[in-house]
Amino acid sequence: MPVGSEASAWIAGAPAPFDAAVAEAARLLGLSAAPVFAHLGADVAGLREAVLLAEQVGGVLDHADSPGLLTNLDSVRESGAMLTTPLEAARADLVLLIGDGVFDAWPDLTPRLIDRLADGARVVWLTGSAGGRFESIAIGTGVARLAALGRLRAEAKLRPLASTPPALRSLAQSLRAAKFGVAVWSGADLEPLAVEAIHGLVRDLNETTRFSTLPLASPDACAAETVCGWMTGFPPRTGFARGRPEHDPWRYDSRRMIAAGEADCVVRVDAFASDAHIAIGLGEAPANVRFEVGRPGVDHDAIFYDARVGTFVARPAASPAGRSVAQTLAAIRARLGGPPC
Amino acid sequence: MLTRIAGGRILDPAQSRDEVGDLWLQGDRVIAAPDHGRADETFDAGGCVVMAGAIDIHSHIAGANVNTARLLLPQQHRAHASRPAATPLANAGWSTFETGRLYAQMGFTTVVEPAISPHHALHAHLELADTPVIDKAILAILGNDDFGLGLMRDGAGPDAIRDHVAWTLQSSKALGLKVINAGGVAAFKDNVRSFGFDDVVPRYGVSSRQIVKTLQRAVHDLGVPHPLHVHCNNLGLPGNFQTALDTIAAAEGLPLHLAHLQFYGYGAEGKLGFSSAAPKLAEAVNAAKSVTIDVGQAMFGQTVTISSDVLRQFSARAQARPSKYVIIDGDANGGGVMPYNYRDGSFANAVQFVVGLELFLLIDDPYRVYFTTDHPNGAPFTAYPDLFALLMSRDVRAQWLSRLPAEALAVTTLASLTREYSWGEIATMTRAAPARLLGLKDRGHLGPGARADVAIYRPGADLAQTFRAAVRVWKDGECVVRDGALTHYRFGRALRVSPQPDAAMTRRVAEYYDARYGLDAELLSVPEAALPREPFETVACPR
Ligand SMILES: [Zn+2]
Repeated sequence: MPVGSEASAWIAGAPAPFDAAVAEAARLLGLSAAPVFAHLGADVAGLREAVLLAEQVGGVLDHADSPGLLTNLDSVRESGAMLTTPLEAARADLVLLIGDGVFDAWPDLTPRLIDRLADGARVVWLTGSAGGRFESIAIGTGVARLAALGRLRAEAKLRPLASTPPALRSLAQSLRAAKFGVAVWSGADLEPLAVEAIHGLVRDLNETTRFSTLPLASPDACAAETVCGWMTGFPPRTGFARGRPEHDPWRYDSRRMIAAGEADCVVRVDAFASDAHIAIGLGEAPANVRFEVGRPGVDHDAIFYDARVGTFVARPAASPAGRSVAQTLAAIRARLGGPPC
Repeated sequence: MLTRIAGGRILDPAQSRDEVGDLWLQGDRVIAAPDHGRADETFDAGGCVVMAGAIDIHSHIAGANVNTARLLLPQQHRAHASRPAATPLANAGWSTFETGRLYAQMGFTTVVEPAISPHHALHAHLELADTPVIDKAILAILGNDDFGLGLMRDGAGPDAIRDHVAWTLQSSKALGLKVINAGGVAAFKDNVRSFGFDDVVPRYGVSSRQIVKTLQRAVHDLGVPHPLHVHCNNLGLPGNFQTALDTIAAAEGLPLHLAHLQFYGYGAEGKLGFSSAAPKLAEAVNAAKSVTIDVGQAMFGQTVTISSDVLRQFSARAQARPSKYVIIDGDANGGGVMPYNYRDGSFANAVQFVVGLELFLLIDDPYRVYFTTDHPNGAPFTAYPDLFALLMSRDVRAQWLSRLPAEALAVTTLASLTREYSWGEIATMTRAAPARLLGLKDRGHLGPGARADVAIYRPGADLAQTFRAAVRVWKDGECVVRDGALTHYRFGRALRVSPQPDAAMTRRVAEYYDARYGLDAELLSVPEAALPREPFETVACPR
């Protein structure tokens, strides 16, 4: 993406010099009473600048995939958890997949985890309805799934219920017999109460054996969670309306704020889209201001969350080109008088 | 820029200096008093104590486990109401920005995060890069990792272990090496629920003692200034002083650092089966000249324990207050995060409080006992000012002791201890000694050529307040704190050692990562270029 002759910034749909677009973005954010940073698809440096800019303008930080992230996090905050990493999970002798969405949440689940298990390790999939690729038990969704997980927990605690299907009873015995079991699900797929039920089951199993969990969420949301965490103390859905960061999963839901007309300026950062960009404005299109940005790890060096390892990794760019999210947002913050940071 | 700090009491134990006089700073260095020359800026330090910036050798301030604690306990870090101008996010409770600000305001300029799993080193360095003002460092953890234990199991020999340690320090950009419940966390993966110094790790056939001795030797042979930093087995258990005594004896004349010894100072005496064994430990430390310790003082109040001793955190899960915990089975050590409330009405907590103070007061040499609360495990680092006051004043101690249960005092000797730390001993323990322990030649003192990290305090009747709010702090010659408040950000660097990697070991590690994980080992190392600003400063390994 060459910077120069070809436009990389637009104001109201018309090509504009970068500096003019920065000035217009700063003006809009300066006027806004309730700016919202939605999507937050960015590398670590870009996320960092988004947090700083949000503080500068009293804005709200949310991520496109916050719902799944917060479903997982809420139950951890409520009652704790036994967690493991993608690399360590491959040591399991029993993997319990829960919900139909696990492979959507981690497309490399088979090569990165299932295929790397030791010979003799067992994979059991608690699906919604259909039979799965592995040994699977259909337990339904919603209330039915909650009931099934409750039964499984009771059976694993050796409190048999008369009406438990034999497959679940036998699974409960297998869970108790596992040397190191790992439960895997997607937060975007399961009800919060189901996630809590799984953590309860795993806590119980650890009274006698070793068992852990690998809750899945979008890697970009995990990055936003982590960066917002160390910068503000809180995950996304954190706002600076009163200067200090405040976390409120309901109040600072960007979709709700936009739908309710509470947001009067929306900053959409989408660096992982095929047309990597930042759009600022009220509507989706055309944005009042739009910046084309480089793709993290392709057009510029970047650090991002890698689902294979469950932590941050660096990826240098092959041929650097274009401005990054971080550079663009930093220019807007500087224009607003934000101190160096 | 020439700065003159005029007429303060210059307290610099490393240079045996304790006198009223001037201190001169030029650029980022302390210089000798110029023959002629006018200061661009003069600060009248009359009535104040002038010291080098303080150094904290063991404080859990960054990384995956710390961030898990932040996210687990949103209610524990209320943000501040006021919004400090010019310092973004400094009002965010428990952010990296707040950490840098609060440390700087107490006159601390270098802090070591002592427990980073190599696979999470990049994450830790990203957080540290966002921790303003102070310099920082990580210690990398080995001793429960499959590759390293595999080397020991297969009798790979000291050269291979040394090369692996070098590879790890280089890859994770660490200042030193830490071992946490050596072998015990690996054993917990096989469902072992208690693990002592001479217990053997299933699958690997090596004892905790062997792991500690092997890594101690490797760190020594590499010439890494900071000795192996050991978190012993059996943390927190009644009667565990014997584990610490065994570990101290195992040092056998080579340098060894024992972390947060307070948590190992417990006997099993008394009608509640829990007592202070601090006098026995202090006697052993006094006799073992190659051993250094930090205390890990417990203070009363709500905190959260963050530890890579997964076995211990799991075993203590019933004590969580509020009642929730996170246990992470990591690639090697992992972590455990558990909120905890030290109550002064609790017999056990009172004994813990007393054991820490006894260690401070009974270990003679301030060069071998370090000032820590194992933040946040014993208490948050913001409790340091109160702890300084407790060490420096018998009267302050008497006030605190009067609140404790009588049964707790009955199983300790604290009430009989009259020692009061002098200002000079405080300066040694928090400046001269840690710089020596970490191999930081230009820190911890105020001689010409020293880094211009300077903290000034105005002694008052309330010693805690004196240490809570430094009058002035300079970092690298730049004044960043005025009257206890941070004025602006600057960003320090992470200190690291840079031992020469061995080509054969690099290949061997690469083969291991490929076979075990199907990944390039480089993926999990910290690339210098990836971090913002000038991220690192290399500390020399003399050998
Ligand atoms: Zn510690």
